[in-house]
Amino acid sequence: MSAIRTKDTAVGLAMLAAGLGYLYLTTGLPRRGAVDATFIPYVLAGGMILLGLLQAFVGWRRHDADAEEAPGVDDEAPSSDAPANYMTVVKTLVLFATFTALLRPLGFPVAAALYLFFQFIVLTPDGRTISYWRYAALAIIGAVITFVSFRYGFDLILPAGPLTPYLP
Amino acid sequence: MWDLFTQGVANVFAPQILLLVTGGVAVGIVFGAVPGLTAVMAIALCLPMTYGLDPAAGLALLVALYVGATSGGLISAILLKIPGTPSSIATTFDGGPMMENGEGAKALGVGIVFSFIGTILSIAALMFIAPSLARVALSFGPHEYFAIAIFSLTLIATLSSGSMLKGIFSGVAGFAVSTVGIAPVDAIRRFTFGQVELNAGFSILTVLVGMFAIAEIIKVAERSATADRIGTSLMVKIKGFGFSMAEFLGQLPNAFRSSVIGISIGILPGIGAGTSNIVSYIVARSRSKTPEKFGKGTIEGVVASETANNAGIGGAMIPLLTLGIPGDAVTAILLGGLMIHGIQPGPMLFLTQGEFVYTIFAALILSAVMMLILEFWGLRVFIRLLAIPKHILLPIIVVLCAVGAFGLASRIFDIWTILGFGVLGYAFVKAGIPTAPFIIGFILGPMAETNFRRGLQLADGDATSFLTNPISGAFLALAAASVGWQIYRGLRPARTVETQPEGGGQP
Repeated sequence: MSAIRTKDTAVGLAMLAAGLGYLYLTTGLPRRGAVDATFIPYVLAGGMILLGLLQAFVGWRRHDADAEEAPGVDDEAPSSDAPANYMTVVKTLVLFATFTALLRPLGFPVAAALYLFFQFIVLTPDGRTISYWRYAALAIIGAVITFVSFRYGFDLILPAGPLTPYLP
Repeated sequence: MWDLFTQGVANVFAPQILLLVTGGVAVGIVFGAVPGLTAVMAIALCLPMTYGLDPAAGLALLVALYVGATSGGLISAILLKIPGTPSSIATTFDGGPMMENGEGAKALGVGIVFSFIGTILSIAALMFIAPSLARVALSFGPHEYFAIAIFSLTLIATLSSGSMLKGIFSGVAGFAVSTVGIAPVDAIRRFTFGQVELNAGFSILTVLVGMFAIAEIIKVAERSATADRIGTSLMVKIKGFGFSMAEFLGQLPNAFRSSVIGISIGILPGIGAGTSNIVSYIVARSRSKTPEKFGKGTIEGVVASETANNAGIGGAMIPLLTLGIPGDAVTAILLGGLMIHGIQPGPMLFLTQGEFVYTIFAALILSAVMMLILEFWGLRVFIRLLAIPKHILLPIIVVLCAVGAFGLASRIFDIWTILGFGVLGYAFVKAGIPTAPFIIGFILGPMAETNFRRGLQLADGDATSFLTNPISGAFLALAAASVGWQIYRGLRPARTVETQPEGGGQP
């Protein structure tokens, strides 16, 4: 089985799993008649399951020659020929999750500055020198400008954490 | 009418209003351009500033913010392939590829000019045909809205030329995600898992920012080891708006059609520019002589999206001013702004406060002109922003996205939500599932469900009422025809391939 067939079949099975999961959750909702709050979710779950089955079947039956399908406007797969770097993806997600988790305890200026500093480093392309001082300065300036602009310019009170007592 | 209009124009050229409009458009553009920040946020934040102003000056500021923010979304949609607002989703389809092809400046120029044209045409509609249009829209009930939503949902298939199954699944999944929260009519909590934050469901902004902005950044992270600039070839030397007069004239029919779509959808409460830009894009592609160029970087796609979303401004103002009915969050805040100043919109407004109404019209026109000037000047600056290495620029955009999500309700939960939808958007990319149908399903799903339930209630549970009502019946027939056509189109190439002799090429 070619890679594209395997992928399409796997996508179909994932769609099927999503539909089944949604159906399972829908069965847990209270019923109040034929057309109630569960009606549309049941219809949607049925649609997702059907589409998943069709996709899995189409993927499984797919001929290798059909693999080169015309791209649609939404075929957004990265076009670069460069190899995918999944470690950078994982690091980026972990950094963003950490930033979100630390937003209240550390406050926006500190959490954002830390996030920016480490994210700059993580995204720096191979072969480029990492300038720690420059990154630190940019991270602090970026975080402070954003915090001040929104807090005092647009009245959007971002969490300040331990800095709260010192702010006007 | 002409006297009132000239008086309105004279009013907006007062130094104070001129300054407010200029500042409002500039701030609006920034809010529109930054993913996560929206026109709603800009107007809501600036509303208190209008308390101390006279009504004309206050409303001029608010409509300037509205015009600026609606247009500003095109900047990030083209330069970063991240729609700043839901109204710029379709702009990314061709604006992004144009940017990658080294035509970023041209795409921006096209977007700016046709945003202006869309705004002006919609203001003309607002001035000349507002009351009659509003009356037609007002006669629509749950049956008509349900049918319109279903018809629009069937267009998802048109948008999914890569794989129709995956595209339809994406739309259905978006609809399914929109069912999270309190159900319409019987108010049952669905899929909230006991989380109070989920009672109101997911905000469209968090879904949009997650699926487009965060997913885009994850995509960049995946390829971060190589490229270091966002644009492959930047065009810093720009002549005028970057496109020729022949191209401009050639796009006028597309612009006019897109304006009509934008105004028509803008009038209908609850739909708005988030839908009209996509519908307009689909129609432009189906009417184009070169539909195969769509999605690869054609100005037709940018024209369709940007004309339609800005045409929604005048469209949304029609029911607001003529009937006092706000169609979306922006016009709801504008209604609040009017009422704060003791002005009650409605049919009598044109009779009792004619000069004020025409001052708003003049302010809208001035805002459109200011938008054109500021964005023309800003075009060079926007392009130069891309000279910033992406490993510096993108993390800053992520932080702004987080700020925008937090600003919705001052909840960290919304930042987690954009992360969650970012991962989902990235998974969609890896699976080859298109993202835009998901957004359409998410936007139109609640409208379809709510009006389906209400329509059934009104008809005592008789589902055939959706078919016997002439307008809803017509839209449902169109929806069925649309699905049938898509299935036929989907099967046609397969049959062609099967019947072609081995090695047989095209004639």
